[in-house]
Amino acid sequence: MSSTLKPLRGERAGLLLLLAPTLLGLAIGVFGSVLATLALSFFDWDMLTPIKWAGATNYTSLPHDRMFSVALVNTTLFSLIYVPLTLAIGFAVACLMNRHIRGISLLRALFFLPVVSSPTAVGLLWSWIFAQDQGVLNSFITAFGGNPVNWLGPKVILYSVVIVNVWGAIGEGMIVFLAGLQAIPRELYEAARVDGATAWQRLVHVTLPAMVPSLFFQGVLSTIHAFQAFDYIYMLTRLSNGNSTFPTLVFSVYRTGFRFFRMGDAAAQAVVLTVIIALFTLFYIRIQKKFGAEA
Amino acid sequence: MADWLGRVSRGIAFASSVLWCSTALADTELRMTLFGGPVDIAVWQKLSADFEKTHPGIKLKVEVNDWDSYWEKLRVLVAGGTAPDVFAMDASNYPDWQARGALLKLQPFVDAEPDLLKGVFPISLEAYKTPDGYYGLPRDIQTIALFYNKDMFDAAGVAYPTDNWTWDDLRAAAKQLTKDKNGDGTIDQWGLFAELIDMEVFWSSVLWSYGAEIVDGKNGKTLIGSAEAMKAWNFIAGMVLDDKSIPTSEQLRQFGLDGFQAGVTAMSVTGHWSVPDYTPATFKWGVAPMPKGPVERATSINSAGFTISSTTQHPKEAWELLKFAIGPHAQEELAQVGYAIPIQEVITASPAYLVQEKAPIDHKLFVDALAYAHLKPVFKGYEEWASAVGDALHRAWSGEIPIADAINEAVAAGDDVLANNR
Repeated sequence: MSSTLKPLRGERAGLLLLLAPTLLGLAIGVFGSVLATLALSFFDWDMLTPIKWAGATNYTSLPHDRMFSVALVNTTLFSLIYVPLTLAIGFAVACLMNRHIRGISLLRALFFLPVVSSPTAVGLLWSWIFAQDQGVLNSFITAFGGNPVNWLGPKVILYSVVIVNVWGAIGEGMIVFLAGLQAIPRELYEAARVDGATAWQRLVHVTLPAMVPSLFFQGVLSTIHAFQAFDYIYMLTRLSNGNSTFPTLVFSVYRTGFRFFRMGDAAAQAVVLTVIIALFTLFYIRIQKKFGAEA
Repeated sequence: MADWLGRVSRGIAFASSVLWCSTALADTELRMTLFGGPVDIAVWQKLSADFEKTHPGIKLKVEVNDWDSYWEKLRVLVAGGTAPDVFAMDASNYPDWQARGALLKLQPFVDAEPDLLKGVFPISLEAYKTPDGYYGLPRDIQTIALFYNKDMFDAAGVAYPTDNWTWDDLRAAAKQLTKDKNGDGTIDQWGLFAELIDMEVFWSSVLWSYGAEIVDGKNGKTLIGSAEAMKAWNFIAGMVLDDKSIPTSEQLRQFGLDGFQAGVTAMSVTGHWSVPDYTPATFKWGVAPMPKGPVERATSINSAGFTISSTTQHPKEAWELLKFAIGPHAQEELAQVGYAIPIQEVITASPAYLVQEKAPIDHKLFVDALAYAHLKPVFKGYEEWASAVGDALHRAWSGEIPIADAINEAVAAGDDVLANNR
């Protein structure tokens, strides 16, 4: 989006003054902590004894860190399933919601509800749905003569946490896509109709090309969310001693820093996490350019 | 006191912290933090008033946090140079804080008052000893015992646990008490609730009773893979995977963290910290000693304690407070709360501990257990080691890999942690 409104010369000082609290907060709070994390990743620090220069050892030791490796694999697998599913379902729901019928805003609100619900409460709710005995899902399965599934067990847990996270993210994708859909000029559809395009042809040749920017934007957001996934997953997989049966990267950063006295290693993990997200974002921008759309 | 279960459940009910203070000019102000729940707040509100009365000129500010936020907050406070003067410690975490210089050396104070520790159970002091003396002192004791639901035993016609029970007796009873009551094809009543990831309540005692050891922190060796230990592991795996008489964490999730409290398991192995949680239960229950193993009868002992910050401005006053906290008056008050065994031998033999109105059970049993108790291992890197071992164990209990593979993984991962912490 580019704005054509520009402040007059005389307004600039006042503008800066008004923006100062936010800008300062951004500079110190966000960039400050980003730089501090980057710096910290080159030191050994247990929060109690003086900080020590560590060079790149925090990075070179990462591949040997079993817990980090498990978290990295878990998070990557999770993202590979979560991102396409969130995009596809969010888009489909947005298409269905993009019409003027009675009660549509109520339906939209229902889809958006998970986004504004407390992840802790939602996580607990899902743990009852997934419960092995007396769980909602398994009750259905056994009612139809199937064998109960250990939803939170080792083989299925990946898919179970994907389901919950996708469910929680549909509303957000729907909002972004709805905005995109409503910005498509109606004339395009009318013209397509006059030319005799079927509903499918209208979707492929009118809707999708117009939605490329929204799709990529939501793709980047979903990838970020996927790599930062924590709350639902932790609620569903936490063990009584504070560990998790499905550790994710964010959990690993937290555990390494705050519980294992290894702030430097935790910072290095956080930097790696950031780099992964940045690489994905760059990759998206690249292919978006190939599609000929503006970023 | 690694009574994490009690702490977690208390922590859920009570996620925020409460603090109170009253300061007058010229008074020395002491800050103390501890982990606990609403009950601890109530006790310490009273105790801090008592302390201020007997120690004029000192104002005490006590802050209580739930277990998880406590440690996070303490780290940030100490790192930020605003450490509380006195803070609660768990024996397992003690070496990590002591080795990093965060704690004040208490040996000179202890030397000046040779009678101070006379009535204290020696084994509770053991965890806080270092080559150059004490840097912390225990404030309570936890031993593990067997709790059983009398209603479930009666309904199944199984005899109650006795002093002579062996692990095989427990396994047989647990198998009989594991049932699919509603006939839907899945188990909904289990024989035993035992936390299988953390060592304190179950697997450390089983390993010791089979003649195995757990860890040699000094030489950086994880010992849970020995031939004796494997016999113990196979016994536990038999209960979990073959008999299915111990529910896994996935199966228990829908019932909360404690299956015994939820009324879905017939037995539970846990410490005295569970007594206040179990007391309001609608079923009748009793306690018995830990069953005997092939080599011996064993239980785990762990002590929470108090430490003084190495950066305190008021070491003398802080020492007075620490003495007060482990002294007879505070110990009597804390005994009545019912979460733990007091460290003062006299009090454990007095009505203050033995007669707890709300929980009319055999409290002496927990003290008698000291005779066959093993100290929960205390070494630097404990939490990371426990996480590494626990992650591997979970893979076995969930049926992902065989127990022997899980133990190999646990030993390798545990040894890595120990090597990094030497």
